Amino acid sequence: MAELRYRRLQTLNRLPRLMGNHYLAARYLRYVRPVAWITSGAPVEIIRAMGILPVYPENYGALCGSRQAAGTLCQVAEARGYSRELCSYAKCNLGSLAEPRQAPLGGLPRPTVLVACNNICGTVTKWYQALARDLRVPLFLWDTPFSPGELTDGGVAYAAAQLREMVRFLERHTGHKLHQDRLNRVMDKSREASRLWSEIRLLGRHRPSPLNASDLFIAMAPIVVLRGTDQAIDFYRELKAELAGRVAKGEGALPVERYRLVWDNIAIWHKLLRFYGQFLDHRACFVADTYTGGWGTVMEGDDPLTALARTYTGVFLNRGLAYRASQMVELVRDFGAHGFVMHANRSCKPYTLFQYDIRRMVTEQTGVPGLVIEADMADPRSYAEEAVKTRIQAFMETLDG
Amino acid sequence: MFFAGVDIGSTAVKVVMLDQQGKVVGCETTRTGYRGAENAWHLLKGLLAAQTGVTPEVWGRQGGDPAKLPVRVVATGYGRHKLAQAHRQVSEITCHARGAYHLEPGTATVIDIGGQDSKVIRVAQGGTVLDFAMNDKCAAGTGRFLEVVAGALEENVDSLGRLAVASNQPVAISSTCTVFAESEVVSHIAAGSSKENIAAGLCLAVAERVAGMAGRIGVQPRVVMTGGVAHNRGVVRALATMLGLPVEVLPDPHLVGALGAALLARDAFANNQPKT
Repeated sequence: MAELRYRRLQTLNRLPRLMGNHYLAARYLRYVRPVAWITSGAPVEIIRAMGILPVYPENYGALCGSRQAAGTLCQVAEARGYSRELCSYAKCNLGSLAEPRQAPLGGLPRPTVLVACNNICGTVTKWYQALARDLRVPLFLWDTPFSPGELTDGGVAYAAAQLREMVRFLERHTGHKLHQDRLNRVMDKSREASRLWSEIRLLGRHRPSPLNASDLFIAMAPIVVLRGTDQAIDFYRELKAELAGRVAKGEGALPVERYRLVWDNIAIWHKLLRFYGQFLDHRACFVADTYTGGWGTVMEGDDPLTALARTYTGVFLNRGLAYRASQMVELVRDFGAHGFVMHANRSCKPYTLFQYDIRRMVTEQTGVPGLVIEADMADPRSYAEEAVKTRIQAFMETLDG
Repeated sequence: MFFAGVDIGSTAVKVVMLDQQGKVVGCETTRTGYRGAENAWHLLKGLLAAQTGVTPEVWGRQGGDPAKLPVRVVATGYGRHKLAQAHRQVSEITCHARGAYHLEPGTATVIDIGGQDSKVIRVAQGGTVLDFAMNDKCAAGTGRFLEVVAGALEENVDSLGRLAVASNQPVAISSTCTVFAESEVVSHIAAGSSKENIAAGLCLAVAERVAGMAGRIGVQPRVVMTGGVAHNRGVVRALATMLGLPVEVLPDPHLVGALGAALLARDAFANNQPKT
């Protein structure tokens, strides 16, 4: 089956430069502009509008994973007393501070302020507190209440009130002011990028699908890191056009698409091509995933801070079991999937917690089977090659009937 | 034409051979050791020789080219990709389901506890896999766990089971880690617990892990048990108690995976024959 080759998206070739420029800018512009380390679910629009450079330690963790540096950095962090059970993104970041010479890019440029939002997990609160203590840098924690059911107006108001406080915090520590018109401009750009991103993800509904989830994992860096900039919009316009071209020609991401699958949880960065390549051998394409959908929500509402509060409080990791399960059921149905694969991610507890229940509910409601694979998003030490291979083969045999 | 299933597991190599009618004409097992695939080929040659009268050396000289063998081979188990004589590789899960269903057509759930894996498989009519769960990357709940801790009692996996059924008060083994469980056993020995009660505690610990896994996919009767650990009566009894269902042990449970592989080899051959 060696002749089966992935069809590489040309637009993705622009990414190393785009992301390289982002990290380069942060490295040198920090001498003239304040730098904020922020979590993936933090309101970057405000930070960007205030002329503060946002840097994402989580994105850096993914980068360490894909550059095979995470194992070493995790060990460095563990040697300093952090638990083996701690998130590998946190350990990559903390390890890179302790041993910058072992760290890709020499680690991240030092922050002026830290902004963490607990909409994605509770780990970030303690992780950023450790950073604030070690780096002696002020930290703002944004508490977005967990919603077991629908979002409540009270919850949104509570989150929005803290955003006003956050603006004052940033103004105090950076000397930069927030101007409404700039915030509106950044938010418009952010909306446009999110809209393009969600349209791109929906193209997976075509048969054959013009994209595989591994394409999305590679392509997602700008929607996380460059949201609110023109570069993100340009990149996704180009990507969407390329994918639309594939659809028009009836060309799929895989040369032969026999099975359509849905992916759940963060990518296995350290085995991106090797792991997803195993599915290529079975002619199985991941036509949709839950992870990259986290950045596909287009902000609504007139008051910018309320719109931000509603969007960031409502992310799927901050929602209950029923929401998470219905999200998977919809993806399986809308994208015509034959099965789904869930990554039980040792690092990401909130994402992994409900998986066995979701798996059962999705199978009951759609009739398609699901597979759980145990691994870690960045740390290769939690990956058992043979065991994973056997489970994938057995699952694909189940689909073959 | 013959059909062979070769199961190269972490502990043992099992080979089952069928004739054209699907009758078992031979089976062999040996330790996997360092050269699992070579050991398997050696057993296969012996079985072929017994059936065809052609000596093993002749098959050996031909280098085991699968195209020239009068046998269709399906390999399974951890060493399945290493067997050069195999025509096809199939996962253990599919093989155990097929083998168990063949022996016991009412089978709805298969519990297979092998050397380094334990699995719970939901089986559909006809012996195909509906759903499965497998242990995580850890030896808890596997044969290896029992093998290691049995060593501390100067027993083996099977005799541990015989001891366990004579227990009146199993000790608690709280650690799921094999190494820590072994040291727990040592401290129970030091505290004067009987061998029977320690053995029963260990069987319960394995059964607990497997029953927890079974809960993820739901267990339907009839429940059959395959794999080498099914020889251990203590584990079987503890599992039946925990699941609240009878657990039947198939004859020669360690051979069921290889039997399933042989049956799949025969199915594939039959499907490829021109229809008359």
